[in-house]
Amino acid sequence: MRNRLFSMICASVCVVGFSTDAESALSVPTEVNPAPKAEDWVALSKLPDWSGYWIPNIRDQMVQETSNTPPWNEKVAREMAEARAEEQAGKPRGLFANCLPEGLPSGMLVNHVGMELLFSPGRVMMFGDGDGNKLRRIYTDGRGHPAVVNPTLYGDSVGRWEGQTLVVDTIGILPQSILAINQAIGVPSDGDMHVTERIHLAGPDTLHDELTITAPRILTRPWKTTRIFTRDRRRVSEIREAICVQGSMFTEAEDKDGHASWIPAEYDLDDGTPVQSDKP
Amino acid sequence: MMTNKLQRLAKLMMVMLACIGPAQAHHSFAMYEAEKIVSVEGTVKEFKWANPHVLLRVAAAGDDAKVWTMELTAPGQLSRNGWTHATIKPGDAVKVQVRPFRDGRLGGAFVSVTVNGEEIKR
Repeated sequence: MRNRLFSMICASVCVVGFSTDAESALSVPTEVNPAPKAEDWVALSKLPDWSGYWIPNIRDQMVQETSNTPPWNEKVAREMAEARAEEQAGKPRGLFANCLPEGLPSGMLVNHVGMELLFSPGRVMMFGDGDGNKLRRIYTDGRGHPAVVNPTLYGDSVGRWEGQTLVVDTIGILPQSILAINQAIGVPSDGDMHVTERIHLAGPDTLHDELTITAPRILTRPWKTTRIFTRDRRRVSEIREAICVQGSMFTEAEDKDGHASWIPAEYDLDDGTPVQSDKP
Repeated sequence: MMTNKLQRLAKLMMVMLACIGPAQAHHSFAMYEAEKIVSVEGTVKEFKWANPHVLLRVAAAGDDAKVWTMELTAPGQLSRNGWTHATIKPGDAVKVQVRPFRDGRLGGAFVSVTVNGEEIKR
């Protein structure tokens, strides 16, 4: 009996000791995502109606290519002039031809497909039907950014509601994420990029995303731009699965046993066009 | 009543205006001649309904060895205009309007197609 009691005490001490060591060593956070209460769901009903599918205004994107160019630094300005010349010569750069998600801020600046915005307690979710299924999580539960952010293409986003406007702050964006003004002209941020957004209805069926982009390695000062989206409620506009690599990297085929399968497709990653088939 | 109809019409026009634009999604279409349209008649070899761009391959009439590769927009964009994966099928007789490659490659950016006598735009 005494031996058994001694073993239990030892085991408890070991477990407590291990947990304490692990938490102090890794700074394991103690927060958890609380279960939503009824009032949390009621609060969502007071937010603006952003339902439906939001189609980017491509024409305005094109206008801004020349009317509101980013304040590139001297080196990048030269590179962008070369990219523009190559595009005008019919040899555009395939910035996104590798099918990686466009990331932030390009996913908001130059995307041509629809998106939807869904509210749930503590977060706003953004889904797009291109960009390899665009997905952004914007936490609105009052949290700040983590002390250490593991960089990702869309970064770490926290938001808060100022009346009917969602204010979003994003850091932790991979240095490879591109600041682009179209599909062929843009440059990786090279790190330290910070994006703030003010997203709000500018009309019954018009959504504005006012972005301020700070990218000290490629810009001389923060750049402001507004991107416009138009609401579309039609069923044909619903957001669909859109896996970029499915078509760019693979072709439907049958395996040796006659099952539906894939074989590699050949795409030109310089400009994104499909390699031609010469098979009759 | 009339006001409601006008509002619906205005909303539809806003959506249509927002949809009008160059046929590009994940890459620029500057490799195609924007000012030129050529017509290709033939038989559909493949209609690949997949992201990032839907593809149409057509064997030219009279010369099956010449297979044109036409690029369309993304499935999501085409769906908004009523297209499905079954809009065009292998074996269909088609007449396709395309903006050709600038460098002479046998292909182009899709503009419109007449499938078995019926014209469909992107």
